[in-house]
Amino acid sequence: MIKAEDLSFSYSGSPPYILSGLELEIKNGEYVSVVGDNGCGKSTLMKLILKFLRPTHGSIVTDAKKIGYVPQKNDSINSGFPITVWEMLNSYRKLLKLKDKAVVSESLRLVGLSDHARALMGNLSGGQAQKAFIARALMGEPDLLILDEPSAGVDIDSQREIYALLKRLNTENGITIVSVEHNLDAAISNSTTIFHLHGGHGHFCTPQKYSEEYLGKGGAHA
Amino acid sequence: MLSYSFMQNAFVVSLFISVLCPCIGVFLVLRRYSMIGDTLSHASLAGITIGLLCNQSPVLGAFIFTSLSGALIEYLRRYFRKYTDLILSIVLALSVGTAITIISSGKLRTNADSFMFGSILTVTKTDMVMVMILSIISVLTLIFLYHQMVYIAYDEEAAKVAGVKTGLINYVFFVLVASAISVSIRIVGVLVLSSMIALPVATALQLEKGFKQTLIFSILFSMIDIMSGLFISYYLNVAPGGFTALVSVFVLLMVLIGKKLHTSFNRASHAS
Repeated sequence: MIKAEDLSFSYSGSPPYILSGLELEIKNGEYVSVVGDNGCGKSTLMKLILKFLRPTHGSIVTDAKKIGYVPQKNDSINSGFPITVWEMLNSYRKLLKLKDKAVVSESLRLVGLSDHARALMGNLSGGQAQKAFIARALMGEPDLLILDEPSAGVDIDSQREIYALLKRLNTENGITIVSVEHNLDAAISNSTTIFHLHGGHGHFCTPQKYSEEYLGKGGAHA
Repeated sequence: MLSYSFMQNAFVVSLFISVLCPCIGVFLVLRRYSMIGDTLSHASLAGITIGLLCNQSPVLGAFIFTSLSGALIEYLRRYFRKYTDLILSIVLALSVGTAITIISSGKLRTNADSFMFGSILTVTKTDMVMVMILSIISVLTLIFLYHQMVYIAYDEEAAKVAGVKTGLINYVFFVLVASAISVSIRIVGVLVLSSMIALPVATALQLEKGFKQTLIFSILFSMIDIMSGLFISYYLNVAPGGFTALVSVFVLLMVLIGKKLHTSFNRASHAS
């Protein structure tokens, strides 16, 4: 579960706030897509859940014991870094203190990247790199998976595979998923709930209701 | 040549430098911190002059002052988030200002020039022992923190999610940088030290290998650069620091030309 009460945040610590008096409750097993215009605070909310940032006012807590995180591609990742897919996953396994090396091969198999283990991360396509980051997030069997725009810079076929995988992880493995989405079709098709951020505030709605509102506006957010 | 005791000392120190510098350099370069290496090289000059002023080991003085400068850079990053390059100017002003003030005061009994350009003759047994201790401790620390360091360089946010204490390790990293700089100043000299940290890594990166192989090739290129620089400078009777830098640029050029020829050859064989 993730719960935010009266959550406000600004980088300067004073108004104007990016998030203002936000109330949020995400139950275990949900697949929540966080949507909204650019700069509305979606990525900031993720960073607050991950404790990269501290709330200016209010609180945000989670009872998840293990969190998997898939960052926004090209956001924090050094694409020229000389590291193979195997090294990237194996070093992460060491950080998580997982003794069994088989978790690396297993996570690669799960995302369909077994044949690319020795490839350099910088030489992968957008879709393959995203799958590698999902493989990394799945090591250590997380109960909460947080993704920041998983389909950004990813081709259509890979997008389809990534969302099918996320849906399977949610429904079959019971992993709670919170995903920042610009891809509204994916948000409507895959998530159980949509959290719409606007003007520092947010509200939950069903994908159906959001679809009606969204379509009603003629795709204004696309 | 190796029958001279000063040359034996220089050889042992060079061997340790050629392993330690690329081990630290690979992380500095990949974190886009090459200029921090340059700033800390200059900071070491202040440590040397303080060490000489207090009649203590200049290598120890350089290590302490450079470590403190590294910690200062990490600390000031909180206050200058949007102008991080300003931090380097601040630390440079503090350290170079200290060094020039002490040197110009005329209170030093030893000439500090050998530390600027590097010198084979001035490597003492005490320096050699200090270099060996610092190098061994640094390499062991690197081996122990290898995966944490790789991840902080590659994806700091992911490292935080995995529970890595990135703040603490960043401070440890700057102590390691200080250590690499302190052990190298005797042979390489302050002025070209940062190039010795960065150039073997730049050469290895051209080979487009994974992290571990890049690190191994960086050490290999560093050994070629520093050992050739040491022996050839002995016969040419020039400062080893400057000549080592020239060798490292030459090796980089050779690798770039080799890479270009390899690519052209591959294209030609595909076309035929």
